[in-house]
Amino acid sequence: MFFIKELTHTILLHPSYFGPRMLNFLESKLYSDVEGTCSGQFGYIIAVVSILDIGKGMVLSGSGQAEFITRYRAIVFKPFKGEVVDGVVNNVNKMGFFADVGPLTVFVSHQLIHPDMRFDPNSNPPSFASDEQIIEKNTRVRLKIVGMRVDATEIFAIGTIKEDHLGVID
Amino acid sequence: MSDSEDRPYQSMDFDAAMPDSEEPEHLDDQMAPPPVPKGKGRAAGDDDDKEEDDEDDEDEDEEDEDMGRKGKKRAKHRHKRAGASRFLDIEAEVSDEEEDEDEDEEEAADGFISTFDDVDEDISRRDHARLDRHLDTVEDKSPEQIARDLSKRYGGRAVRYTGDMNEIPQRLLMPSVHDASLWQVRVKPGRERDIIFSLMRKSIDVEYSAHPLNIHAAFQRDSLPGMIYVEARSAKQVQQACHGLVGVYPSRGIQLVPIEEMASLLQIKKQDLTVTPGSWVRIRRGKYAGDLAQVMDIAETGEDVGIRFVPRIDLTPRDEGSLDGAKKRKKQVTNATMRPPQRLFNFEEVTKVWGRKNVTKRNQVYVFQNDTYKDGLIEKDFKMSALILDDVNPTLDEITQFSKRQDGENEETVNLSIIAEASRKAAIAVLQPGDHVEVFEGEQAGVHGVVDEISQDVVTITAVGVDIDGQKVELPARSVRKRFKPGDHVKVMTGQNADETGLVVSVADNVVTFLSDMSMQEVSVFSKDLREAAEVGSGTNIVGNYELHDLVQLDAQTVGVIFKTERDSFRVLDQNGQVRLVQPHQISMRRDSSRAIATDSEGHELRINDNVKEVVDEGRKGRVLHTHQSFFAFLHNRDIVENGGVFVTRARSLASVAPKSNVLKTAGTDLSKMNPALVATGGMVGSGAMGRGPRDRDIGTTVMVVKGAHKGYAGTIKDTNGHIARVELRTGNKVISIEKDKLQRRYPDGKLEPLTVRPTQGQGNFGGGQRGPSSFGVPGGGRTPFNSVGRTPNPYAEGGRTPAWNASSRTPNPYAESGKTPAWNASSRTPNPYADGGRTPAWNANSRTPNPYATGANAGAGVGTGWGGATPGRTGGWGGATPGRNVNAGTGGGWGSSADSWADSSGPAWSAPTPAAAATPGLIGQTPAGYGAPTPASHTPAPWYDSSTSSMPPATPAAAPSWSSGNQLPSDDGPGDDWLFSPVIANFLPRIKVKIEGTKMDHYLNGDYENKRGRIPAVTKVTSEFEQTVLVYFDSGDSRTIQARYVVPLPPTYMGEEVLVIHGPQKGTVMVVREQPDDDRITVSSKANPAAVVGIPKSHALALYEDTGR
Repeated sequence: MFFIKELTHTILLHPSYFGPRMLNFLESKLYSDVEGTCSGQFGYIIAVVSILDIGKGMVLSGSGQAEFITRYRAIVFKPFKGEVVDGVVNNVNKMGFFADVGPLTVFVSHQLIHPDMRFDPNSNPPSFASDEQIIEKNTRVRLKIVGMRVDATEIFAIGTIKEDHLGVID
Repeated sequence: MSDSEDRPYQSMDFDAAMPDSEEPEHLDDQMAPPPVPKGKGRAAGDDDDKEEDDEDDEDEDEEDEDMGRKGKKRAKHRHKRAGASRFLDIEAEVSDEEEDEDEDEEEAADGFISTFDDVDEDISRRDHARLDRHLDTVEDKSPEQIARDLSKRYGGRAVRYTGDMNEIPQRLLMPSVHDASLWQVRVKPGRERDIIFSLMRKSIDVEYSAHPLNIHAAFQRDSLPGMIYVEARSAKQVQQACHGLVGVYPSRGIQLVPIEEMASLLQIKKQDLTVTPGSWVRIRRGKYAGDLAQVMDIAETGEDVGIRFVPRIDLTPRDEGSLDGAKKRKKQVTNATMRPPQRLFNFEEVTKVWGRKNVTKRNQVYVFQNDTYKDGLIEKDFKMSALILDDVNPTLDEITQFSKRQDGENEETVNLSIIAEASRKAAIAVLQPGDHVEVFEGEQAGVHGVVDEISQDVVTITAVGVDIDGQKVELPARSVRKRFKPGDHVKVMTGQNADETGLVVSVADNVVTFLSDMSMQEVSVFSKDLREAAEVGSGTNIVGNYELHDLVQLDAQTVGVIFKTERDSFRVLDQNGQVRLVQPHQISMRRDSSRAIATDSEGHELRINDNVKEVVDEGRKGRVLHTHQSFFAFLHNRDIVENGGVFVTRARSLASVAPKSNVLKTAGTDLSKMNPALVATGGMVGSGAMGRGPRDRDIGTTVMVVKGAHKGYAGTIKDTNGHIARVELRTGNKVISIEKDKLQRRYPDGKLEPLTVRPTQGQGNFGGGQRGPSSFGVPGGGRTPFNSVGRTPNPYAEGGRTPAWNASSRTPNPYAESGKTPAWNASSRTPNPYADGGRTPAWNANSRTPNPYATGANAGAGVGTGWGGATPGRTGGWGGATPGRNVNAGTGGGWGSSADSWADSSGPAWSAPTPAAAATPGLIGQTPAGYGAPTPASHTPAPWYDSSTSSMPPATPAAAPSWSSGNQLPSDDGPGDDWLFSPVIANFLPRIKVKIEGTKMDHYLNGDYENKRGRIPAVTKVTSEFEQTVLVYFDSGDSRTIQARYVVPLPPTYMGEEVLVIHGPQKGTVMVVREQPDDDRITVSSKANPAAVVGIPKSHALALYEDTGR
């Protein structure tokens, strides 16, 4: 699920960057630091919408670096257990398939695929296929997240398509 | 049977030894073996134990063995009885009765015989009559009577002994203070049983001697190693009994067992025989030690168990003779070699190796070497004692071997019932409060909940579910199992997949399949081995010091990347693409390839973590893990199944997938490090930003050691590190590390000189010997003007060129350049306004040092006078302070010396040649005031900053402040920090008008404070490493701490202003300006005597604020 969330980020600025372009440095640093990252708490930070406050640079005694605590507003994507999401199949093997849901990788085990769909090892690319449907790389699927592993820097989920209205979407 | 506490103990009864003593009935009662006929020591116990004991210790001495066998026989005899009766003492009593009866009969027989012997018919008749009568009465007895008699005869005792342990009568049998006590004796661990036997033999031996043992009983418990227990009246008797026995340590104390503990020592916990057909056991010893076996049936006695297990048939018998099939032979073979692997019995294979005649088939069953094989498994009877019943923990693999047989080579299907059975017991042990469990059998089946409490075999759970949500339910632990649902993040606690973590994808009864976090493979484990876990398994990818995807050195030629970690080993893909299984100790080191350099097919640098793809072969893509020898690249791609996604390829066959990211791309730069853009330019300014200091000039010098162990050795300095030099000795081809102060430079002529002195050949040329090592700057250049002036016959012309440190041109120092050019045109580069005033090259040179006095001096055409006018105030201290140096200065010439001062204001060397002072002593004497220079230039110090970048202090007027520091007098032009500290002004400091100057040029504080005026409340001297700052209260009302060098005093500007005279006769006094100040002179007089006006140079006066009456 997507949220707009106010977040903070701390930037340390070397004294050599103090100067007229300092704000530019800080902004680009903020974008490069946070966009595309993942925190276990808030999920993936998709994009910075606006910078609310670049922060007062406090010079740290000892190093001379300035610490800016930047407040910004960002779009975050946090998956939830039970959430139904759409994804694109990235990789198919006999255990199941991996689907990309934006930045999130979701694994769908063959046990969580309808038994009608069987892994076809001879197909190229490898696929899960039933009479009507086929799941191979780049197929778009709708799946439900059943479990997540949330690390500090990564989220990994497993999903199921073994329920009604889930599976290949045309 | 296990070695647990349940095992009966060894005991002996020594009733005979103390016939008059009270028989400890309570003991007998609780002991497994009942008392034995009097006069005989008896050892009874678990016959299984004894049996194995006997078998194991066949080399025991004969006596012992005999004893053992006796005991065994007896024990065996005992065991023939029904299981329950073994705990009762019926037999003993019965045997007593029998004895009584025997006696009766004997009596009767005696009587009978006596009748035979006796001729007295009467007596015999009487006897007969009595017997008849007796028989009559017996026959006449009604069945009720007989029953009553019987019950009378046995009933009481039966009641007495069949009492349940927990019933009240039992308590009456507990030992009291009147009974003999129980003593604990320390013995050698492992020899308890032998000692008990020895004690028993000893007891028998001395029974009828003069000194029989006065102990009643002795026993040991297997659960209490290193102790035996002896029942006796006193410790002394125990001591006597134990005297002379090897392995008994009476010295370690014979301790009395408290009465309340005596009974528990002998308590036999009822053995929980869980051996039921279908359960899993392990074989305790022999060829199959540790192998899993399944119980098929149990003999009535409960002693022999029929089990089946996977055979280990040696299909490669070493000894041809063993083909005979003699069991003995086979045993030898197997003992001598490794035990054969587990493999299901295959008729064809076995007959091939062992010959057809060795294997016989009897309806569906093969017999081979006296063993029976069915369905590939060996079926055999084992003694209970030869099996391990506890902690069997069958693994899925082991069970699969069995199920393979059952399901006919179908690996996939696992017989869940046997797995459930196998894991059931263990499951109890691994439950923890908080675990989610579900009930899978019993009336609560289907309920699930959270474990609250575990007490032995009963768990209390809080049910979560429909009807009984929130209720607490007590359940047998064996009927619950851990519950997981797809999506749970779990961690394996035990087994070969231990520490693996993953997300559950499916649950089938108690087999949980999860997707491993590390390998992205599916793993099936029992739910009992799992636990919900938050963390990602880290244990699995670090073994020892090595981690997944580390580049490791396997041997001198081979490196590899770890692509899979197993328990205590790695799978490594080496540079040749071969997979090896290595142990941590086989890895010589981990290699860091983060600095390794390799280029891809396009010649671009290949960096770690670059995404690349092959341009040849399969065109695999991957992320660079490591490069090796600029040739091999190890890549990783999760999509590739084999080798965990790691593969090796040639670096030259790779191409970057994404365009190279620019190193200096702003977004990617680390803003917490030095700005690379500044590094580029900043490096030009001074050596400080270069990161590294100059190469030590001593390197390469021929030196001689003058102190220490190597004194007298000559060598060459190869390297230096601080004050340590590495010297390659001429002799012995040895490199030593030695302090520099133990070295002296050695000239070809053998002359020695300290290293701190510059080489003499240089001295000869430019007379720079006096310059400190730090004067890497301009000295020669400084001198050259004179050359061009032509005053000095020329050694310095060369000198200008010589200084090696100029030549390095590391510092874009214009003076260095100028050192080479005799003409001072170079100076025009510095936008020094005074350069224009330069009329002679020499003066241009001066103007470069934007010394305002230089210009002032220009007015006077003579060089000498110029300086005299310019510097007298500053050099006031010089003349006197350094007369010695002045002598030196003669070699350098006045100008040269000043040049030196540009070079480095901090070194003492520059001051050495201050010849100007020496040359113009008169001037110093005449105008000893810093403000003596009659030039307004002093008030415009800005040009200094114009001509210099702030990072070039040595080359620029910054030298000037250091001059003034020499004599502590404020020099108006020296915006140095130090004028503020002059004692002359100290008393008036708060009143001195100051203004801020020079900040615009330096962009100091944006120049906001430029030209602001204010006063200084006080100053505090800071240490030399820091910039001197002062707090300035501005007239505008605010205050700010400003670097002292921007703070300059104001000259008097209007009539009536109070001034502080800092030079001349009126030095230190406060005067009042009496006339409108003109350009360079003011007329002042004291307040007290306004008439006595004097004219002083304007620069000799500092404007003061009105005295606020402070």
